Amino acid sequence: MSSTTALRTLLRTPASLRLLLLQTPRSTYHSYDHAEQPVYREAERTILSSALAHVPIHGFTQEALTLGAKDAGYLDISSNLFPKGTFDLVKYHLVSQRLGLKDRIQFPDENFGVGRKVRNLILERLRANVDTGIVTRWQEALAIMSLAENIPASLRELGALADEMWFLAGDTAVDASWYTKRASLSGIYAAAEIYQTTDQSTEYRDTEQFLDRRLEELRTVGGAVSGTLGWAGFQAGAMVNLLRSKGVMI
Amino acid sequence: MSLRTTHSILSGPSLPLKSRLTPLAFQLQSRNRNGTTRTLASATPTPQPDPQPASPPLQSLTNAQKKYLESALRVNHAGELAATLIYTSQIPPIVKAHPHLRPLMKHMYDQEAGHFKTFNHLLAKHRIRPTAMYPIWYAASTLLGWGTGVMGREAAMACTEAVETEIGDHYNSQVKELLRWDDEAKARGETLGEDLQALIKDVRRIRDEELDHLDHAVGEDAKMARPYEVLNGVIRAGCRGAIWVTERV
Ligand SMILES: [Fe+2]
Repeated sequence: MSSTTALRTLLRTPASLRLLLLQTPRSTYHSYDHAEQPVYREAERTILSSALAHVPIHGFTQEALTLGAKDAGYLDISSNLFPKGTFDLVKYHLVSQRLGLKDRIQFPDENFGVGRKVRNLILERLRANVDTGIVTRWQEALAIMSLAENIPASLRELGALADEMWFLAGDTAVDASWYTKRASLSGIYAAAEIYQTTDQSTEYRDTEQFLDRRLEELRTVGGAVSGTLGWAGFQAGAMVNLLRSKGVMI
Repeated sequence: MSLRTTHSILSGPSLPLKSRLTPLAFQLQSRNRNGTTRTLASATPTPQPDPQPASPPLQSLTNAQKKYLESALRVNHAGELAATLIYTSQIPPIVKAHPHLRPLMKHMYDQEAGHFKTFNHLLAKHRIRPTAMYPIWYAASTLLGWGTGVMGREAAMACTEAVETEIGDHYNSQVKELLRWDDEAKARGETLGEDLQALIKDVRRIRDEELDHLDHAVGEDAKMARPYEVLNGVIRAGCRGAIWVTERV
């Protein structure tokens, strides 16, 4: 199957390059002059959003899908509408909350730094798990996402979320840091989300602190990480400058 | 109840992708207040072409066209990064040995820096990832600039000649392709939209500037470089290879 081949290719690739493989299918030209196609057709959208309302009680299960279809006025879900079953339900939550993020977030003023914006965006996205009532069931979703055939799509969606966050935070850098930024934000968000599913504290204070510790680590270690990626380029430039400073005529 | 809120959030207006237009409009506005009313205007979602006789309807972009734009803009961006770096490392040795070349080198560098800025902006605006080979191209172009700079004026000019020949060809085929889209849209009574019209203009202007550099290089004895054939062949093959790779990653 193509998804298993994709996974095998992915696993054979050195860890540092994996993100590149995952990035390739997304991020095509984003047009402002032309309306983009909606991700879901109307029937899919109605069924899946109704089904999500059943998740707090029935979990990410086929039953929730069936009940959702019933609510939406479809007596029987034809199985080819959702070939991936419950993963389609999980993915619908991911996609709709990613695209809905921009409507949930308001930055108080222009002087809000990119770092603080990213922190707010992560918290807001985590809050969406709570507001939709699925947070108590999210471990089931994580289990579904980690099935071999769902991993590529799940990681791609995670990468898309990180891209959306940097975009909404107003980051416009298109240099080698583009990749490290998305990789590190993906990692931090995924970790915080897993932490959130086990968090018993009021209003998820512990998750917030967990997130702040991860972001702090990124601030201290982050320089080293992006340095690795820009290393080759940096070395070439540094070498030339060094030799020049030694009086070599170059 | 919470179940209902769930439902209303998800079936809310968040899904159609066209509503994603607003954030960047907001972002661009806050970044450069002076220039981009056009972007803001075009960012208002216009789902279906209104049948207004005054302005022809927008042509919708096919997936193939989006893919083309994505890889073309990424290649342009990488190329201009390389160009600025080549000049950055060439200029010190060349200007030291031939002070009279300072204005020419600065002129060419300034234009390349302008091109690079244009594509930096376009990549961020259209949410296109930069090439994954960024650090590699960074190193390669710095070394190429340094190497030819140290070899002397003729070699440096041969380098410019070779690079600009390939880049000029590359931009030329892009202009041709975009004009073909434009013709096809016109034939259907549609328009490509402001962003693409502007892109055609930009790429044309940049191509002309690249070809100017080519002329300057030949005027400064690029052909006298030794071994000219080898330099020219190797650098041009390198450019074609880099374009090929960057189109893909
Ligand atoms: Fe250029």
